[in-house]
Amino acid sequence: MSYIEVKGLDYSYTKNKKVLKNIDFSINKGDWVAVLGHNGSGKSTLAKAMVGLIEPSIGSIKIDGLELNQDTVYDIRRKIGIVFQNPDNQFVGVTVKDDIAFGMENLAVPREEMLKRIDFFAKKVQMEKYLDKEPSQLSGGQKQRVAIAGILAMQTDIIIFDEATSMLDPFSREDLMKYIKKLHEEGLTIIMITHDINEALLADKMLILKSGEVFAYDDSHSLMKDKDVFRNSYLELPVALEIANSLTEKKYDSVKEKLWEYVSMK
Amino acid sequence: MGIRFNEVSHKYSSFSDGNLSAIYQVSLKIKAKDEFIALVGHTGSGKTTLAKHMNALIFPTEGNVEIFNKIITKKRNRDIKYNEIRKKVGLVFQFPEYQLFEETVLKDIMFGPLNFHISKEEARNLAINALKLVGLDESYSNRNPYNLSGGEKKRVSIAGILAMDPDILVLDEPTSGLDPAGKRVLMELFKDIHKRTNKTIIIITHDMDLVYEYFSRAVVMNEGELVYDGSPESLFKEHDLSKNHLDYPNTIKVLTHLNKTLKLNLNVYQKTAIDALKEIEKAGIL
Ligand SMILES: Nc1ncnc2c1ncn2[C@@H]1O[C@H](COP(=O)(O)OP(=O)(O)OP(=O)(O)O)[C@@H](O)[C@H]1O
Ligand SMILES: Nc1ncnc2c1ncn2[C@@H]1O[C@H](COP(=O)(O)OP(=O)(O)O)[C@@H](O)[C@H]1O
Ligand SMILES: [Mg+2]
Ligand SMILES: [Mg+2]
Repeated sequence: MSYIEVKGLDYSYTKNKKVLKNIDFSINKGDWVAVLGHNGSGKSTLAKAMVGLIEPSIGSIKIDGLELNQDTVYDIRRKIGIVFQNPDNQFVGVTVKDDIAFGMENLAVPREEMLKRIDFFAKKVQMEKYLDKEPSQLSGGQKQRVAIAGILAMQTDIIIFDEATSMLDPFSREDLMKYIKKLHEEGLTIIMITHDINEALLADKMLILKSGEVFAYDDSHSLMKDKDVFRNSYLELPVALEIANSLTEKKYDSVKEKLWEYVSMK
Repeated sequence: MGIRFNEVSHKYSSFSDGNLSAIYQVSLKIKAKDEFIALVGHTGSGKTTLAKHMNALIFPTEGNVEIFNKIITKKRNRDIKYNEIRKKVGLVFQFPEYQLFEETVLKDIMFGPLNFHISKEEARNLAINALKLVGLDESYSNRNPYNLSGGEKKRVSIAGILAMDPDILVLDEPTSGLDPAGKRVLMELFKDIHKRTNKTIIIITHDMDLVYEYFSRAVVMNEGELVYDGSPESLFKEHDLSKNHLDYPNTIKVLTHLNKTLKLNLNVYQKTAIDALKEIEKAGIL
């Protein structure tokens, strides 16, 4: 049995339109899965279902052996944290500090430990100077950083990032990714929803959604070898592979090899 | 002159960060027409603050901003019709949620045009057309904007400015949250509007690939100060990007990797994958 198992999941917000259709996949402990798909393909809906914020009409979600339902949802939320697509949806406190603390409060983290983690994670996302500020007064990227810090501080076994870095500058994004890589090496299971193919390359596997269905799910390299998968799901390949795919003659074999090597560097 | 910043600083009244200004003594000239500008810089560098000055949404705490010859200073001036300015310079917010408040998508997009005293029928047509341009079909017309996906919201907020058709368009991170196909479609759309109408368009982005491929001018902010104003080409060729928390476009990075690992001598300054491909084919590598 896998660590996370999603089986035959259907979901509709309104009567006549299914936005998730028969979603089936499983994730092993310690995996890093990138979730890709066009706008409206169902990524955030799937994420919300996985943390029990919405209840699927059919199908089941099992996390670490627990079937997600009203009785288990609070236990499951101790295992799985989610950074929302819009950081404002995660903010309830008066200060940045309150907001980083919020998730930990729900987990009943002892106060002293909580203060330690606030300091540590605020520094990790370079927001230590802003702890007493109102979240509404932050820039877009700063809000995202605070939202990320709040979830990292919960130290759950699984984290879902829903386009959590879309407004970060390239530099701080890379910085953060380095840290997430480290957490991954230490065993964190990661589900990363993103439109950025370069960010998705950090994952071991890619789950591609299209119009509410799983269009493809495989290890990243096998998927990227089949360029039609990307074209047919409104996605783009990394620049290096777009080049590699157009070099068909034998004399370019060495170049192609290096281009693949480039996308494999993590 | 379209928009001109004269040593503009802005200190938010609630800014607790010591004496820091969100932007500091920024001077910048933007022509009324023919400009296609990328505004880049690290998180919190002052991009949004700069953008909000461009249509007098906020006022400088020092210096002044000239917008179509109206001089905006710290003090509100009763002779200036700020609403007129906001019609001439349209701004799309970084978070679409701050912009969407009507109960249907169509009403939201019609809101701007209706302010121009045109008929409902006309506004409706403009809105439907704008919706199409951002890649949403008519089935979205009667949806509640609040219930859309993130990227769909973004598209609706962009459709709003297109329907308004201002003289200058300022878009705050319009492509963040868009899927790759949508990002292309919209960048081509902005380019096309610019080409057809010569309108000045200013786009905030973190995507260096887009900056390199599409823009003729890049303005870089760093810790509230304007630190670069020039072509993307020389930005990526001659400047220390890490100092400004930026990165190189992917084409440059990939070609540099090839040069290094295969001891080649490719010209790495190629803007698109196709250009990069041509450069490799020219070298005729074995
Ligand atoms: N609260 C809601 N009520 C009704 N429909 C909704 C709601 N939220 C999302 N939808 C619809 O469900 C579909 C899937 O939305 P979802 O937010 O899961 O997409 P997504 O893949 O996350 O897209 P994006 O890349 O734009 O964030 C879309 O068609 C969207 O319009
Ligand atoms: N309403 C506000 N009140 C106080 N400070 C603000 C407000 N908006 C932005 N700031 C601060 O001003 C600086 C610049 O913000 P902003 O212009 O939004 O940056 P960018 O768009 O480049 O990410 C940041 O440090 C931010 O925290
Ligand atoms: Mg989403
Ligand atoms: Mg901003």
